[in-house]
Parts: sequence; C-alpha cells; structure tokens
Amino acid sequence: MSSKVTYVFSALFVLIAHGGMLLNVFFNGNYTNISSVIILSAAVLLLDAAYFTAMMFFKQTTYAIDFLMILLLNMSVIFQSCFGGVRLSLKHYITCIVALAACRVGYIFCRNHKWLQEQKKYFYIGIGILMIVILTLTGSRSMWISLGPITIQPSEFIKPLFVLACATSIAEQQKKHKILKFHIVYENVALFGLMVMIFLLQWWCRDLGSLPTFVAIYACGFLLRICYPKAKFSKNKLIAAGAVLLVVAILGIKFAPAYVQDRLHVDIWNDQSGNGYQQSQALIGIANGGWFGKGPGHGYLHNVFAHENDIVFATISEEWGLLYALMMVFVILIIIMIPLINPPRSYFHATMATGICASFAVQMGLNIFGSCNMIPFTGVTIPFISSGGSSLMVSGLMTGMLIACQSPVFVQTKKPKRQKKQPVQPVNYPHQQYSPRRDTF
Amino acid sequence: MNTLNLVLCAVAAASLDICALVLILTAYHERTSGKKRWGRMTSFMELADYSVTYPLNCDEILIGRHASADIRLPDLSVSRYHAIMTVSNGVWTITDIGSKSGIYVNGNLIKTTQLRENDVIKLGNRRLVFRRKGVY
Amino acid sequence: MKSIKRCQGLMSLVLILFIVGMVALVVKVNRESSFYMINSGELRLGKVYDRNGDILFDGSGKTEFEENYLIDVGNLIGDDKGQMTNTLVSKNIKRLNNYSFTGGLVSSNGKASIHTTLDHEANRNVYNSFCGQDGCAVAYNYKTGEILICTSLPSIDVTKGYDNILELRSGTLMSKNMYRTVPGSTQKVSTVIAALEIMGPEKLFSKSFSCSGTYENMSGNNIDCHNIYGHGEQNIQQAVENSCNPFFAQLVEDDDFPLKKIKSIYKEMGYTINSDNCGYIDIDGIKCEMASTTLIDSYEFKTQWGCIGQGDTLISPIQLMMWQSAIANETGKMTMPYLISRTTDVNGKENYSCETEFSDRIFSSDTASTTKQILLTNGENNYSSLISGYKVGVKSGTAQVNEGKNENSLLVGFVEDEDFPIAFCILVEDKNNTSVKTEYIAKVILDSLSNTYEN
Repeated sequence: MSSKVTYVFSALFVLIAHGGMLLNVFFNGNYTNISSVIILSAAVLLLDAAYFTAMMFFKQTTYAIDFLMILLLNMSVIFQSCFGGVRLSLKHYITCIVALAACRVGYIFCRNHKWLQEQKKYFYIGIGILMIVILTLTGSRSMWISLGPITIQPSEFIKPLFVLACATSIAEQQKKHKILKFHIVYENVALFGLMVMIFLLQWWCRDLGSLPTFVAIYACGFLLRICYPKAKFSKNKLIAAGAVLLVVAILGIKFAPAYVQDRLHVDIWNDQSGNGYQQSQALIGIANGGWFGKGPGHGYLHNVFAHENDIVFATISEEWGLLYALMMVFVILIIIMIPLINPPRSYFHATMATGICASFAVQMGLNIFGSCNMIPFTGVTIPFISSGGSSLMVSGLMTGMLIACQSPVFVQTKKPKRQKKQPVQPVNYPHQQYSPRRDTF
Repeated sequence: MNTLNLVLCAVAAASLDICALVLILTAYHERTSGKKRWGRMTSFMELADYSVTYPLNCDEILIGRHASADIRLPDLSVSRYHAIMTVSNGVWTITDIGSKSGIYVNGNLIKTTQLRENDVIKLGNRRLVFRRKGVY
Repeated sequence: MKSIKRCQGLMSLVLILFIVGMVALVVKVNRESSFYMINSGELRLGKVYDRNGDILFDGSGKTEFEENYLIDVGNLIGDDKGQMTNTLVSKNIKRLNNYSFTGGLVSSNGKASIHTTLDHEANRNVYNSFCGQDGCAVAYNYKTGEILICTSLPSIDVTKGYDNILELRSGTLMSKNMYRTVPGSTQKVSTVIAALEIMGPEKLFSKSFSCSGTYENMSGNNIDCHNIYGHGEQNIQQAVENSCNPFFAQLVEDDDFPLKKIKSIYKEMGYTINSDNCGYIDIDGIKCEMASTTLIDSYEFKTQWGCIGQGDTLISPIQLMMWQSAIANETGKMTMPYLISRTTDVNGKENYSCETEFSDRIFSSDTASTTKQILLTNGENNYSSLISGYKVGVKSGTAQVNEGKNENSLLVGFVEDEDFPIAFCILVEDKNNTSVKTEYIAKVILDSLSNTYEN
C-alpha cells in the first residue's frame, strides 16, 4: 500500500470518527436550536480539513501523530462544547488552533538535535526567566498571571524546557570533572539544582499539584543519564534500587504522622459538601453515566466547579459514558506509544520522547485517579482534553517535539575534517603477538 | 435511555475505535518508510565482522566489550567502551572514547575520523569492515 | 540502539503503570458505583419482603398499606428518610437501589429487592400478645441463623410516615433487641458457663451453699434473695431453678472460681469488661450492641452483682439469644443471626443469598451440654405447663432498672427439637404493672412459628 493511500484513509477515518460524535450530538444532544449543532459541526470539520491541507506542506517521515492530535483536539472541542448544553466553545476552539500552531513550532525547533544541544544555555535561561516571572508577576503566591481576559500559567511552560534540559544533559556525561574526590558532571548538578528550585517555587506558591510531573521527567532523565553511554548500574541493581525506593515509600506512607495521612486520604463521603465535594460529585457522575452515558449535554457535573479541567474525565464519562472516556484516554496513550512503534533514531530524541511520555502519563494519572479519589486530588490537567490555554499550548508543543523525534535530521554545523593519514606508529601491543588473526576480508 | 441513543453511542464509539486502529496501522506502515528514510540519511552503511553484520540503526553507536555496548565485541583486546560512531549529514564518523589499544582505520591509528566505504577498522584484535548494505 | 531500547523500556513501564491504574479505576468504579449512587440524592428503591412474600417496604411508594400494617417490625425495617439509621433499609439501601452501572437508574419496573427471613404474621401475633406493654421479643432458628421474629414496643407504622418525632415515646424508632439492657438473672447462665469451664461439671455439682434470704458477703454487704425466707442448702441445679442470688454470691467468692479466669471466659463470650465502650455484632449491616460488665474483685459487692445480673452488666436480647444457640447446638459456637435471605438486583437476578455462619468456639462443647441439661431440667420442672407442648430449656430473669423503681422481666431459652430449632429472648418492661407474662409470649412465639414450620 502506498503512503498516499494510507494517509487518505487515515484522514477519512478521522473525519468518520468526528462525524460519529457529531451524529451522537445531533440525536442525543441537549440543545434548543439546531444551528448550534451545525456551527459546531462546521467548525470541527473545517479545522480537520484545514489541518489536513496544512500537513501537505510539511514533509515529514511520519504523520501518525498529526492525525492522532487533530483527532483528539477536535474530540475535545466537541466535548467542551457539549458540557451542559450544545454551543461551540469558541475559546477552546481558538486555543486548539493555537495548540496546533505550537505543535508546528515544536516540530521545527526540535528536528536537529545537534543544533538543539548547542542552544542548551537558552533552556536554562528560559526556565530562569519563567521562574522570575512567577515570583514577581503572579503575585499573591499563585501560579497564574491574568492579562485581561486571558490567564496564563507560566509554570506550564517550564515543562517542555525542563524536558529539553534533561535531554541535552545526556551528551555531557563523558565530561567529568574531578572536584575533591568526586567525579562530577556539571550538568547533573545543574539539573538537580533546577529540580530543587522548581520544588521550592511550587512550595512557595502552595501548589504542589504539578510537582509529580516534574519529578517524573527528572527521574526519567536521571535514569537514562546514569545508563549512558557507560552503564554504571546494571539492570538488576536498578531494579533492586527501585524496589527499595518502593518499600521505603510504602513504609513512609504507612508510618507517616497522622496529619500527613489525613492530607493523603480525605474521606470524601463524610465531607461531601467540603473538601470531598468535587471528587464525590465526580464519582457520582461516573456512576450516573454508566458505560454509555446520559447523552451530550445531559449531565449534571457541568454545575460543579472545574468541570472542564480538573474533573473533566468524570464530566465526559457522565455525558458520553465511561467506555468513550476510556477510549479517549486510549487515544492519548497511542500518541505516546508511537515512539515504541516507530523508534527515534538518536538517544537525545529518545530521552526527549521518554520525558514527554512520562509528563503526559503522570498528568493524566494525577487528574483521572485524583478525581476518582484513588490518590490525593490535585488541580492538574489532562493533555488536550482539559480546557486551559497554557496547558493546551504546552501539550501541542510537546506533541510537536514527539513529531520531531519521528522525522529527525542529522546535520552538524561544524563539520569535522577527516584526519590526514598519519604514519603508523610503532606501538607494540603484547597480546597482538599471541593471537595472530587472519584477515578474512 | 432508548435503543436509538444506545445505537448512536455504539456508532460513535465504534467509529472512534476503528479510527484509532487505522491510525495504529498507519504508524506501522510508516515504520517501513521511516527505515527507508533512515537508510537514505545514513548512506545505507553497516559494519561487518567476518561472520556477523551489525546494522547501524541510530545516530550514535557504541562499540566495546561491555554488555551495554551497541556493537559488542567479546574480545579482551577490545576496551569495555572502545569507540563511538556518529552520523551527520549522511557521513559516519568514528571516535576513540579512551580505549587502551586505539583505533586503526586502514592501518592508521586515529583519534577521530570520517569513514568511507570499505574502510577496515581495527579495534584491538578485531577487524570490522565499513561497507554498503547488501553488497555481500 | 541499546540505549534507545532502554528508553523504550522505560516508556513501556510508564505506560504499563498507567494502564494498570486505569484497570484498577474501572474495577473500582464498577464495584462501588452503586455506593456512589446512594450518595447522589436520587434513589429508586425496590421492595423488602418477608419470608412469605408480604411486602414490608416499598421504595416506589405505590403499595397501599392498611392501618398499622407494619407496626410489628416497623422499627426494624425502617425507611429511607434518614431518621432511623440503624435499620434494615437504611443500612442496605445500596442493595435496594434500582441501579446498575450498565443500565443506570431504573425509575419503573426495577426489580431490586431484599427478601428477609422475618415472618410478618408471627411477628404481628407476638406484637399483639404484648397488649401494648413495652418490651421486645426476638427468636431465630439456632441451626441456620434466620431471624424469624424481631419485634419491639413501643413501635410505629413507618409506612404511614411520621412527622411528630418529638411526641414519640423514647425507644419508638429503634428495635430494642439490638440495644443493651440489664439482664437480671439471665446473666446467671453466663456465670454457670464460666463455672463449668473453670471447675468442670463434677466439681461444680459437688458445691453446695446455703441461702437464708440474705447473705453478708466478705466485704460486709448484704446480697438479698428474692425469697426472703431463703432457699436453704442447694446445689447448682437447684440454685439455677430458684435463681438464688446468695448461692451465686458465694460461688463467686469461692477459691475454685478465680475472678481472673471468669474475666477471660467472659471476654471469650463477647463481654467488654471494665469499660464503657462495647463491641458490635453486625446483622446485615445493622449494629447490635454486645455485652459489657464491671468485674473488679471477687469479694466486692458490684462484681458479685455483676455475675448475678445486676450491677453494671448490660446485654442485648439478641446476644442472650445467640448464647442460647451455642448451648442448644452443644457446640459452644454461636450461630450468627441474619435478616436477609437473598437479594435481587435491578434485573431480578439474585446477587446475594445467605449462608449460615458460626462464631469461634466461645466455650467447650462439654460445658454446652451440661448447661443445656441444667436449662432443660429447669424448663421441665418449672415451665412445662406454662409453655406446654414444647420441650424447652429456659432461664428467666428479673432486672431492676431506673435505680430499682421498675422491674423488667426476661426469659431466654430454646426448644429442644431437631425439626423446630428455635432460640428466643423476651423482655417485658415494668412487669409489676402488667399481667403480660414472658412465658405467655414465649408460647405465642412458638405457636405462631410452629404453624409456619408445619406449612
């Protein structure tokens, strides 16, 4: 099968998937005026067509992630437009377009990893600037800057930069510097410092919600770093270390002081109007929706605060059914599974892909399991699905980075010269004499 | 919830399912084209021992005796981490990363050099030929 | 290549962890969704039936009930209005809700139901036999654990609703069978069990103490007998039959009956000793209080009364009845009582059916046999004419409450019959102001139940 046929089929099936959803909205949706459904359909299908056209101008090795992304973004447009009644959510629609643009930016910037590695210092500078922005501009110890109608969450933008910083650090692992008795790689210290800074910043903002995401990115970067290129730890040692960490964590949670355990486990059913409100409503919503949902716009959860981002999984589950919500999660999983099917060609890109995978998976986990009371509830977002400009843009950017991993270029700015032939130096290797090997070539 | 609603739900879910499946198939299809593109970018080169061929599947290939090396040469004369091969602009370069016995390309001891087709690389007692795929 | 494989391995690990989490989530939601729904404020409750198919509760409100239809077990069945919390319906609302994760809430024709083991007709007979006197009665099959009768007065017909909560007499909205009360001489059964466990039957039957109407104990307090002329010299069998307080006071003081061992046997039987808190028996979600008492020193007044059945001793009727099952079965293991025989889900599919469960061994089977013999002899000698037609083992009790102002009458016992294994406990409050006798109620219980068993 030729590539063109494949892509035409992919595009067709993306359109069919959106069509199926819109059909469901048309027949089951909660609307008074048919025009709202028509506007929504037109917007979604137009965006599909526009993106497919735009994709023709980008020569890439693979397009699978592009298709998945437009599938997801338009799905989220339909979801967000149906909460509590069908009308096109223009704000979300525009942010989706911005996210698609951000995706292109990520793609263009991350294709050539050799060039990217030379720009390393800008990542650190960028993170530094963002931190200063958070410290000075947000005010009242929060993570948000409001500029008129738009609110920006600068901490989101640290994520891709942090992924890049982790990925660039791996090339430096051979350059060790001996300070006192320790062999130290400067970048490892720098990254660790950065991690501590991010932790302190989040502590200061009293918002530890996105900390697990950063920790996951850092942990992946760290694990891959210590294995490259000279594995300092064998697989067994790493597994043993992981097991020890797990045991320590379990013991820590078990024997933690009472007030910590209180924070970790809120009995939401005894506090349904207070701290447990969102989670208990989310769970009731999921139970109410069942496998097949109440129909788009027929849910109750759109009355609950943060229904479109923090507990979006439950809102979708209530209106579209748990089955559909699970499949939506599955589509996100496919996006981060693509590097497994079609492997990146350099360790830099592989590390980057791992960082993005960890970041997406942890964010989804925190959001979904948090809203279902399996872990403490934090206000993080599901990539692509939750509303919120910053988060959507960053998700787009990171997906662009994933696309770049699939279509890399290997061009070095400084070309090393082939060494002039030198006379063979008379170096004697004792073992050479004992093992004369015949040249078979 | 009546039957029509249920059917529509099923239709929406099924179309999404099929779409996801098609996209996974697309990804698998692209695996082949990705391989081809990679071959073009790296001039279809491979390394060959006298019995084994080693594909060059990523832009940094570590050669050594250690188990974690990409091309493992289990010979005491080869250092644990002996050499690294990198590609850029379709040209492969070999670099010594602190080996004991050094690298000889076509009989010359080098620190780092660009490789040409049919160069013979000697690491310790082992010889590898840098050749085009499918020649032998 | 290997390094990239390593990255892919790490990514796979992350993905697998996430997928495991998702699977756990789906399983959790599937299992707990009916619990979530009962918190939603939207309920579609099904029906509760008795063992013969009489409707005891209808969540849809469509069934028309006659006046006082449910007055006999109303405070046990309860309702979903949230006023009565320790009742069958409120504790099992999840089973009664017409909801399934696949089908959602079903507003009409839902088939969720609870089939109870109660016999509505027998309960009504027993309720009527109290003639309005306060009290309670409970009876169950001591081989299977099915609770057949569980009525409590004063009561209210919950099917007609109630909005005058403040005007209701205390104890109206609860089944007294579940709550502790002063056991009176029925406590002596426990003391006999403890004595048999510690001394063995031969030694216990060799002991004899005299009663002259009152007994001055080692610490100088008087333990009075209800017979002011005294019972004279008697052994354990006669003392149980006479329900003689001085005998038991002297038994507690006996050196062969150390308090430390009594305490450990009481604990085995479920007593909470020297503490205000008590444990609970779970009967299909309904909490039933367990016994408690104060035991400090063998020679001390309160401790001795504790073993006789006054003092700080408190026992719920259901637990008194459960001990009878351990005796009647001659195993020393209590048959755990239950109310729900089976439940069906929203589609009418059976999703729970009862199983007979036994407690751990609380005393030896030899002790059980001997105690059974003592109680049967008591029944034969003193109750064969009062509860005629049945071979019963019983122990009566008179409990002083409200600081001696009122006296309650209690009767615990069992029927010795392979085909009619009934254990019961009856409490009639303020016995001096009524002509209702516990023996009469026992007879009504057994007569009404024997009808259903023959059917």
